[in-house]
Amino acid sequence: MQDGRAPILYIRLRKQVRLPPGRPVLLGHVAQVIVDPEYEQAVRTIELMRPGAGEQFVLVDMLAIVNAVRQRYPDMEIECYGEPHALIELAGTARVRQRRALLPIVLILLFIGSGLTIMNFHADVSMLEVHRKLYKLITGVDNPHPLILQVPYSLGLGAGMMIFFNRVFKKKLNEEPDPLEVEMYLYQENVRHYLVTEEYSRMNDSEGGRGR
Amino acid sequence: MTEWLGIALVIVTGLAGGLAVGGGFVAFIVVLDIIPRLAQITHSGKRIAWLEASVICGVIYWTLADFNDWSWYAYPPGTAVVGLFCGIFVGMLAAALTEVLNVLPILAKRLRLFNALKWLLLAMVLGKICGSLFDWLVYQSI
Repeated sequence: MQDGRAPILYIRLRKQVRLPPGRPVLLGHVAQVIVDPEYEQAVRTIELMRPGAGEQFVLVDMLAIVNAVRQRYPDMEIECYGEPHALIELAGTARVRQRRALLPIVLILLFIGSGLTIMNFHADVSMLEVHRKLYKLITGVDNPHPLILQVPYSLGLGAGMMIFFNRVFKKKLNEEPDPLEVEMYLYQENVRHYLVTEEYSRMNDSEGGRGR
Repeated sequence: MTEWLGIALVIVTGLAGGLAVGGGFVAFIVVLDIIPRLAQITHSGKRIAWLEASVICGVIYWTLADFNDWSWYAYPPGTAVVGLFCGIFVGMLAAALTEVLNVLPILAKRLRLFNALKWLLLAMVLGKICGSLFDWLVYQSI
């Protein structure tokens, strides 16, 4: 801080943060901050809120942060970049591990389910008839069960899905995001957007209640 | 006179039917984003018209071959190549449908299995291969 000018606090809120429940939320948890070194430690540990027990998501709004910082340093200037709010997910590691146990069941579900759907699809579009016809068109011979066409077809089925999803087992074919990752991102963004809106309307409700 | 009218009517009906089916087919492929996906993989975004042209040529040729029984007289192992390509295409359709239906993202989100996404995918892929093999080798051969 030089000759009496107000210190400036630069803040960029993180979009989404996962914290263990039952502890107060500090500014350093939810944001990247740049400030003169003498303030840094104190600013990072400014307490923003104490989430109530049983809450799974809480929203920290930029205004709440301005308020908390002002209480401690009334003349500090605050510059905010990025999102005006951070969504905090309160979850311990135990719950995450618990869900992990479901993985084998889900894998079996998907394995059998997708096998069934492909059989349904084949029946739906009379794939056997089409294969017979295709075999006839190519070789000029009738064959009631053209397995030489159908076994490569089945393997190609898997190859096509792999190509679409851009991966061969654990290795990715290249750096581009695959459609599933994009879809996953969009889905998470939508959920996050919904939660933020929901938390805001809850905040407004409780403030309105206090005003009346 | 009525004969000519009948022929004209048949032509119009055929044309209209073809237009509707062709439009539906293209809409289906477009909705599933298969062509953009292939263009992305082969870095041929600027030559996307070529991919479209090959789809159109394929549709026209195989429709005519189907209706007029234009048989080739290739050796049976040659069908293996065609079968493989058919499978890859249907596999991409199936993958795209799964993606559009959003099954995997929701499953992964609900069960907190983000890191296991590739295993979910693998289970699905193996399920499709095994289901299809079972279909041809056992179920439809009985």
